[in-house]
Amino acid sequence: MNGLYIICEARGEEFRPATYELLAAARAITAATGGEVTAVVAGPEVTLKAKLEGLAHRVVTLTAPELTPFSADSWVDALAAAIGAGAPRAVLFGEGGRTREVMPRLAARLGAWALSNCVDLRVNGGGADAVGGSTGAGATDGLGGASAAGAAAADGGSALEISRPVYGGKAYVTNLVPADGLLLAAFRPHSFDAGMAPAGLSTAAEEVAAPVAVSRVELVERREGGPRKADLTEAAVVVTGGRGMKGPENFGLLEDLAAALEGAVGYSRALVDAGLAEHAYQVGKSGKTVSPTLYIACGVSGAIHHIMGMDTAKVVVAINTDPTAPIFEYADYGVVGDVLQVLPALTEQVRAATS
Amino acid sequence: MRVVVLVKEVPDLEAAVKVTGDGSGLEVEKRRGLNFFDEIAVEAALKLKESHGAVTAAVGASAGAGVEAMRRAVAMGIETPLLVDDPALDGADSLTIARALAAAVALEPTDLVIAGKQATDDEAGLVGPMVAEILGMPCATRAIGLEVEDGSVLVTREIDGGEEVVRLPLPALITAEKGLAEPRVPGMAGTMKAMKVQIERTDLAALGVQAHPVLPVVAYRTVGQRPPVTMIEGEPADAAAELVRLLRQEAKVL
Ligand SMILES: Cc1cc2nc3c(=O)[nH]c(=O)nc-3n(C[C@H](O)[C@H](O)[C@H](O)COP(=O)(O)OP(=O)(O)OC[C@H]3O[C@@H](n4cnc5c(N)ncnc54)[C@H](O)[C@@H]3O)c2cc1C
Ligand SMILES: Nc1ncnc2c1ncn2[C@@H]1O[C@H](COP(=O)(O)O)[C@@H](O)[C@H]1O
Repeated sequence: MNGLYIICEARGEEFRPATYELLAAARAITAATGGEVTAVVAGPEVTLKAKLEGLAHRVVTLTAPELTPFSADSWVDALAAAIGAGAPRAVLFGEGGRTREVMPRLAARLGAWALSNCVDLRVNGGGADAVGGSTGAGATDGLGGASAAGAAAADGGSALEISRPVYGGKAYVTNLVPADGLLLAAFRPHSFDAGMAPAGLSTAAEEVAAPVAVSRVELVERREGGPRKADLTEAAVVVTGGRGMKGPENFGLLEDLAAALEGAVGYSRALVDAGLAEHAYQVGKSGKTVSPTLYIACGVSGAIHHIMGMDTAKVVVAINTDPTAPIFEYADYGVVGDVLQVLPALTEQVRAATS
Repeated sequence: MRVVVLVKEVPDLEAAVKVTGDGSGLEVEKRRGLNFFDEIAVEAALKLKESHGAVTAAVGASAGAGVEAMRRAVAMGIETPLLVDDPALDGADSLTIARALAAAVALEPTDLVIAGKQATDDEAGLVGPMVAEILGMPCATRAIGLEVEDGSVLVTREIDGGEEVVRLPLPALITAEKGLAEPRVPGMAGTMKAMKVQIERTDLAALGVQAHPVLPVVAYRTVGQRPPVTMIEGEPADAAAELVRLLRQEAKVL
């Protein structure tokens, strides 16, 4: 079989947007190359499987009791069994903490290739431009990609190519997905448009109840952060404050704008090191890597370490008093001005425009 | 107690990266050092040396390089450096690297392996958990706190949207997140020692490691695909209005 597996992941009562994005990308690709799209749901996610109706050719549920709550040990066993049985060409994950626990161990178990941070998967010659250039990509662009993929297949070529940034985004590598052998790949959120390929497939259901090991890792305590802050790497919009925000008394301006855009707030390391913000919300090389549709840098200078955490954002806005600040070299839109004045004005305009 | 740190030598963050010719190759300036997160891992190991009398070792895998990273680890205080040096590791797949490191770790009974959360060149975060799987060890990623108990470790780790505390039986592998430890700056004595240290070497054949094939590269490309910035002029209110208009009508992200 030559299909694609998607490892579905939920946050609470809904799948992550990345799950729908990957399913759409897989539908577009298999429409061109042949093969089936298989959605894999395990443990706590099984209760949500009805939401996948029509989005995949097949939904495989993994139901061993050890899979709830999530534990890497049990999940690696269960996924290895499911993937081994289906022999797909590639297995697609959404980037995230859980994927980074499970995917590398699966690769070692199965003797597979594994790639993190992927931003594009396409049939040779098809698909949207891999690198950063998909500014404003809407549903039509996505469908365009799919039909271009179809054209490539008609030529007899159905080579799959996969792209990701390396060296902190200073370069991108495109690899060939070999026709034989197994590839596991994790994609950053917003790599694909969830509407890029029509749904309405007839979805077969299958259950795999392979025995799995009990986790060797004992959970002692869990502290979850606030729901909005938790979404930093997931958010479609990220508003980041740098040293130009001065102090926490002004962070409300960031939160207001983020709220108006239904986004999340991030901080530069300068503020984290000064003890003014928490490391969990730091964007950059030693913090989180974000890949939102819209990134707004407020009083951030644009040091390379910061850029490494946000350069795959689709559209970047920078607000800075210094017209020579490096951040403008990485931005699509720049406003030279004081964040303390521009931010309230911007929040007001966004509210007016979106209400 | 034996603690082994996986140390990777990576290009300096400021190193220039150039795509060569028609996109067939990548030229990376040769300024290299110890990976940021591995330095944190080294410090965490040294803390265990001080508090629990742990014996510390560092292993690396590289093709004709890796000495810089090893020296840094030794200068900080790691006792035994071991380098898997093999031409087959040039541009090798992560799984090959992990197999080599796992075999090197397994040369002696080991209680705890500490890797970095990820390397700054590929940001992959693959090799640590792969080594855990190969060695059959339980694994906790993104550790920000570590306490050794009798036969187990208590690890505080970052998860998406929060933190958790977990207990792992030893032997185990953890990966170091920023915050686990604050790396020391090597002193004069350490630096002198590192200059003279004999770095032990081995290779894939000696370790009995089979390389995993490399994924074919189609092309490399640089960034800069982002079109030149559009600067927006005017008073804050006017600039904000114009920005919102562009985000809606031109970029279509609102
Ligand atoms: C190993 C290493 C890892 C690192 N990792 C990270 C990381 O993960 N994330 C990260 O962010 N950094 C990281 N850094 C730090 C990075 O190099 C920079 O020091 C940091 O990003 C600077 O933060 P900043 O832009 O907020 O501050 P600054 O560089 O001080 O910039 C402040 C900016 O605000 C502007 N400004 C001032 N007042 C105003 C105003 N009223 N209105 C508008 N603009 C104003 C200024 O013109 C300036 O451009 C790392 C550094 C190292 C060495
Ligand atoms: N060649 C290598 N030599 C030693 N350790 C490595 C090597 N590659 C990766 N590692 C370890 O694995 C971690 C994750 O690396 P990576 O998977 O490349 O992001 C690093 O922080 C190191 O601890």
